Amino acid sequence: MDSISSRPSKSKKIILRSVIALGLALGCVSAVKREDFKTCAQSGFCTRNRAYADLAKETPNWTSPYQLTTSSLKLQNGVLTGDLINTQEDKHPSPRPGLSFELHLLDNDAVRVRINERDPVSPRYDGVQDTVLIKPYGLAKDSAYTRLDKDAAGALTIQYGAQDQNKIKVSSAPFKIEFFVNDVPTVVLNDEGLLRFERLRKKEEESKKEEGKEEEGKEESKLVDQDAAGDEVDIKVEKSPLELKLEENLWEERFKDHTDSKPRGPESIGLDITFSGINHVYGVPEHATSLSLKATKGAGAPYSEPYRLYNLDVFEYEIDNPMALYGSIPFMLGHSKNSTAAVFWMNAAETWVDVEKNAEDKDSGLLSWIKSKKAVSTPATKTHWISEAGVLDLFVFLGPTHRDIFRQYSSLVGTTALPQSFSIAYHQCRWNYNSQQDVAEVDAGFDEHDIPYDVLWLDIEHTDGKRYFTWDNAKFPNPTDMQQSLSAKGRKMVTIIDPHIKKDDNYHVSKEGAELDVYIKNKDGNTAFDGWCWPGSSQWIDFYNPKARDWWASQFSYDRYIGSTKSLFTWNDMNEPSVFNGPEITIPKDVIHYGNVEHRNVHNLYGTMFHSATAQGLTQRNETNQRPFVLSRAFFAGTQRFGAIWTGDNMASWEHLEIASPMLLTIGLSGLPFSGADVGGFFGNPDAELLTRWYQAGIYYPFFRAHAHIDSKRREPWLFGEPYTSQIREAVRTRYTFLPFWYTLFHEASVDGTPIIRPMFTEFPEDEAVFATDDQYMVGNALLVKPVSKAGVTRSTVYFAGDEKWFDIKDYSVEQGPGAKEIASPADKIPVYQRAGTIVPKRERPRRSSKAMENDPFTLVIALDSQGEATGRIYLDDGETFNYEQGDYILREFRASNGVLSSHNLKTGSVGKTSEFVQRIGALRIERLVILGSKTKLTKVTVGNGNVAEVECSKAPIGGSYVCTVKEPKVAIGEDFELSWV
Amino acid sequence: MKTSACFPLVAILALGAAVVQATVGSTPRGVSPADAKLYVPDNHGQWKCLDGSKTIPFSAVNDDYCDCKDGSDEPGTSACGTGFFYCANIGHVGSSIKTSRVNDGVCDPECCDGTDEFDGQIHCPNICETVGTEAKKEQERVRAIQEKGSILRKEYIEYGKSAKSQLRKELEDLKAKIDELQKAAVDAKDKLDDVNEKLENYLEGSKNEREIARKAQLVPLIEEQTRRLKRSHDAKAFLLKSLQDLKENHNKNYHDLAVKSTVTAFDEFVASQGDEHKSEPLASTEDNDGSDSETSADERLKTLTDDTHVVQREIGTLYDLLAGMKQEYNTEYNDEAVLAAVKITEEFELNWDSDRQEFKDELPLDIPAEESDDTPEAEKLKEETDLAQADYDAASSEESRVEDRISDIERKLEMDFGPDETFAKLLDQCFEFKDSEYTYSFCFFGDANQRSHSTTFLGKFSGWGEEGKKYNTQWYTGGTKCWNGPERSVKLELTCGESNEITSVSEPAKCEYLYKMKTPAVCPVLPESEQGPSTSEPKDKNGAKSHDEL
Repeated sequence: MDSISSRPSKSKKIILRSVIALGLALGCVSAVKREDFKTCAQSGFCTRNRAYADLAKETPNWTSPYQLTTSSLKLQNGVLTGDLINTQEDKHPSPRPGLSFELHLLDNDAVRVRINERDPVSPRYDGVQDTVLIKPYGLAKDSAYTRLDKDAAGALTIQYGAQDQNKIKVSSAPFKIEFFVNDVPTVVLNDEGLLRFERLRKKEEESKKEEGKEEEGKEESKLVDQDAAGDEVDIKVEKSPLELKLEENLWEERFKDHTDSKPRGPESIGLDITFSGINHVYGVPEHATSLSLKATKGAGAPYSEPYRLYNLDVFEYEIDNPMALYGSIPFMLGHSKNSTAAVFWMNAAETWVDVEKNAEDKDSGLLSWIKSKKAVSTPATKTHWISEAGVLDLFVFLGPTHRDIFRQYSSLVGTTALPQSFSIAYHQCRWNYNSQQDVAEVDAGFDEHDIPYDVLWLDIEHTDGKRYFTWDNAKFPNPTDMQQSLSAKGRKMVTIIDPHIKKDDNYHVSKEGAELDVYIKNKDGNTAFDGWCWPGSSQWIDFYNPKARDWWASQFSYDRYIGSTKSLFTWNDMNEPSVFNGPEITIPKDVIHYGNVEHRNVHNLYGTMFHSATAQGLTQRNETNQRPFVLSRAFFAGTQRFGAIWTGDNMASWEHLEIASPMLLTIGLSGLPFSGADVGGFFGNPDAELLTRWYQAGIYYPFFRAHAHIDSKRREPWLFGEPYTSQIREAVRTRYTFLPFWYTLFHEASVDGTPIIRPMFTEFPEDEAVFATDDQYMVGNALLVKPVSKAGVTRSTVYFAGDEKWFDIKDYSVEQGPGAKEIASPADKIPVYQRAGTIVPKRERPRRSSKAMENDPFTLVIALDSQGEATGRIYLDDGETFNYEQGDYILREFRASNGVLSSHNLKTGSVGKTSEFVQRIGALRIERLVILGSKTKLTKVTVGNGNVAEVECSKAPIGGSYVCTVKEPKVAIGEDFELSWV
Repeated sequence: MKTSACFPLVAILALGAAVVQATVGSTPRGVSPADAKLYVPDNHGQWKCLDGSKTIPFSAVNDDYCDCKDGSDEPGTSACGTGFFYCANIGHVGSSIKTSRVNDGVCDPECCDGTDEFDGQIHCPNICETVGTEAKKEQERVRAIQEKGSILRKEYIEYGKSAKSQLRKELEDLKAKIDELQKAAVDAKDKLDDVNEKLENYLEGSKNEREIARKAQLVPLIEEQTRRLKRSHDAKAFLLKSLQDLKENHNKNYHDLAVKSTVTAFDEFVASQGDEHKSEPLASTEDNDGSDSETSADERLKTLTDDTHVVQREIGTLYDLLAGMKQEYNTEYNDEAVLAAVKITEEFELNWDSDRQEFKDELPLDIPAEESDDTPEAEKLKEETDLAQADYDAASSEESRVEDRISDIERKLEMDFGPDETFAKLLDQCFEFKDSEYTYSFCFFGDANQRSHSTTFLGKFSGWGEEGKKYNTQWYTGGTKCWNGPERSVKLELTCGESNEITSVSEPAKCEYLYKMKTPAVCPVLPESEQGPSTSEPKDKNGAKSHDEL
């Protein structure tokens, strides 16, 4: 680069010479795209564990070096314990204590497996359970399981479950655990022998190693071959490239300009989990990928990188890519026609998951146990889980049905909190609504165009210089009045509050935070970490510090958050956390949390800790027990207990509209049902058609919010003119008509963890045609939704599953399943069908907000199946307090059978006193019944007491059956009744 | 019937409340007096939906159940939610709200009598008296403004009409004069050509020698200037590429404002360049080393020098973008693309004088003066030429002045100054609005700008609003292009006021500005009798000066 630094001379060529030199330099710089985020090869522990897997594959007759010491195994009080030895480490000159092994039989048919180090150099982080598990779970009673003694090969089998349906076979040498449900193999741990537990060590070893490099190298290679057949023993002197990889980046590790000091050295854990007989696995969000996970390894694998779980702020993320996004849930569910099982890998450190689909007829010893019983070519999905730190701690859920799995999983990590009822209505957001005047105009715009909405959102620009809990006084001189004028119409407001605190002694939050010493610390453990985010130089609250959590929660009290009112709620963004100048745009892994915990161990939980502290703040700000509403971008297992999430910064493109369905389905089945994607797409400008189609799809997202980037054009729903305004109005109103149904689904999810929007396979578990379907889905068990996600499309192929009829929700046209059919999807509607056999409660009066519907009467849409039967439910409460926990709610089942519709109370146990409000809601009438699927015209509808209600029937446009509308049956939504028709 | 003991009493009450048809008087609740005739049963007590789709018993009107597709059977309930509910607002004026707002728990301000909420969930007091009084006050206030505005608007109209007729007259006069002026200019030109020819003939003898000598004198300078031009072109291309690379490769995740603003400005630079500078004229410069007989060596050198300056000014602009970023970029990010650009900037700095907008090593060329041939005869001829030149300049400038005026008048006569030429008065009048960050300005029918440290062009007048309230909106479009966005534009919304004043400026969407302005120009024209005493000149709060002529 001499020519560049040389002084200018009279030579006219000086600039040109440097032009050339610099041009070359620049060429090198711009070579790599997407270079901000690590690939597995750029991550030491991922490389090492993947290399281990490759080595296993390459090595003939590979056997896991891990063995259980048979004599150590003890089973009592529902827990099996024992010593797990790495036989390679046994050959170490000074053997260390082995690993501890625990297997817990839970009273809900789940199984927990834990492996930790005995007497480690320093304790491994084991705190994830404290924040993720909601309470200590119950263990199976001794009487609930049977120990079947060791077989010839030294395996121990435990039989348990409500019907003794589960078998767990624990093999000692090599270590392996097989799970059977009704004697069908489902999940196998360490089937491929990829268990790998990096022991903590002292850094001194590293320097010794430098000296004795050759010696140790030899040793390692011997270890690898120890189990090879005698005549094949071939002592390697040189290490193979794979073996060398096993030692890569053990300590300090660099990525781009960042150095991860890794003072504790290597501590990763890896394990393979096989889903036997299962071709489709789902889960491990968040990725912009298909619902059925794609192979990341093996011949013909669509992806070459593992699915990565590491909460990151990814600018303009790519679709169809397993790279990490904003949230992580290490939960995976496998499903086949014959079995369903799931695992939860309880680890909050960076995690990678490889997926490999079984090649047909794989001839190896690994599946011999299947082959011994069954014909060859049994499908299987092999997964390899790799985490950077912590202990090995996983749960296996054996179902046997999906609903069982969701119940088992959610009983550990919690179900979704029942949301405030406004929060499942429509949210209007933009970065940014610029002023109080702007807010008033947008609010008036909705009324003028008669489009309902419930919540108006303010992004970061509303603050005084990105100081959260403050207002830009010039633009928002009177936030209290602003909120009150919204609240007068039943509407709410949400402001953004991020976890980065501007460094500014004149900012009360910053100052108090410093005084209370609640910021995340640098790796030295003393000074506060300082990074860049929206406000410039910032610090991050350490939500692992109990003092910090309480202090943070107290910031939301009305006297501290000046200008906040009861109708103001919160949006937590940038909580991966996003650090503009950090490695991979997040905080360095070696920063320190309260209790001297390295961030590496808890990264994926940070956002959730923030989310929960905020929810706590919103709960405790009120004297009455109001439910909080907090939206978060980052998430982890358990987030559902604190509020909603959205899929982050998507783009205004058809592809992003399309990928939203599989992303939300995946997040939902991983226990987090309250989720949505930004309607319209965050970055860029949707055209009128895309925006309209997005609204038509978005009304079927559990969380329904439109949002737009500051550089995008305005796109409030009326700005594109007709026919779009009317089409969007119709869509949003449709959402509002179904709010009673949605709220009932949220209640169901809050009770047993059932997803709200559901992949087709969970409703039709035996129909293999839908196992990979993710371009249509179910809302609850009743509505089939097929978003249109291509430009110019007016016909869509819809797959009607099951043997029953499906009814178009708008004109009640009938389609008969099973089979795919091309359906009209003109610009003003997407195909949405109600499934025969269901009853859906609705409120059909257009209103300007959900609050304004509070006293409206109900409509029941009764879709009779071929037997003339249908069932459905409704859940109602005050929509905003926790009083439902004391029984202040209505839960009823409607059942139609043999021409009789009846309503029954489903509230169980000792019911609390219902409030006046809930009594009033319960007394609201059902104004209309719509009866679908009747083969004959109904002529007379008689209510139990002899009242006769008017009924009117007409033929559905397609499919021929009758649509009968019963006017004013004179029954209340909350009372028992019987009503018959002929 | 199995009725649980849960809600019987309340249930019955609620069911009773379901039937809410108004029995007072003959007009159903929510029907305006104008529509009352539509709500009459036939002889059989039946009633037909207003769209004719269905016949229902009249008792089903306002029975809180939606029977008609068009919602016309429920003007007084929310059952259909698609029609309008009339509230009489006695003490104020009657008003209609959407039936979706009936009994929705909100006291709609449009129904000050509170009749929109009658289901007992909420009590809406009748505040029509207060509202009526306030409305009257407000009406009076608006009326007062309108009256004052009306007077001014009439003055505008008067001005506009007379100005246009004056212009027409002036145009006539000027057109009458123009032939004469053109002839005078032609004559002067002829005379000038005459004396010039004489001078040239006189000098002809020595011309070639002089030119050859001059050329020999200038060749090294032309060569040097050609090199400088080429170097400038190369440097410009290099900076463009560097900025392009920066734009493409910088890490958008960092949200570094310094980088973002440089990239934005670069995009605007590229957009402003358009197609003009598609290719470099380098090849031709190199090939024709002054041998072209058409142009003299002096002209050639001048062209090269001018071209160089143009390119160097552009280099200056591009360099400043990089230098600005280098000053303010966040050094902690270590974004390789930014670092590369900074390195380039540093390197460039060594060679570039940003004050003079020249390369440091390029001293201005010293161009020797042309040797003159000062014979007395030549002197005399030159003097004559100078005189003729002065005559011609005078004649021709008078001609073009008048021609310019003619085309200016023609343009103004063609302009749409709104109804009755109201806006003629405001032509080229300029107004400003200051907010905490910027000063926004515009001149009627001219340009709109935004000013802070520098001035950003927001657009040029491009037309009126859409049909209907066409003359309440003006558009100023085609402003400087936004980063990642459209060309800037201004929508000017005008409402009646007693003086001209911009009352607010906002940016509802990125780079789309909304100016709200009060002006007498859109006040209603009230009949003479309603006017108070006439005021004189308007006082414009923004200090715009009134023009006396168009």
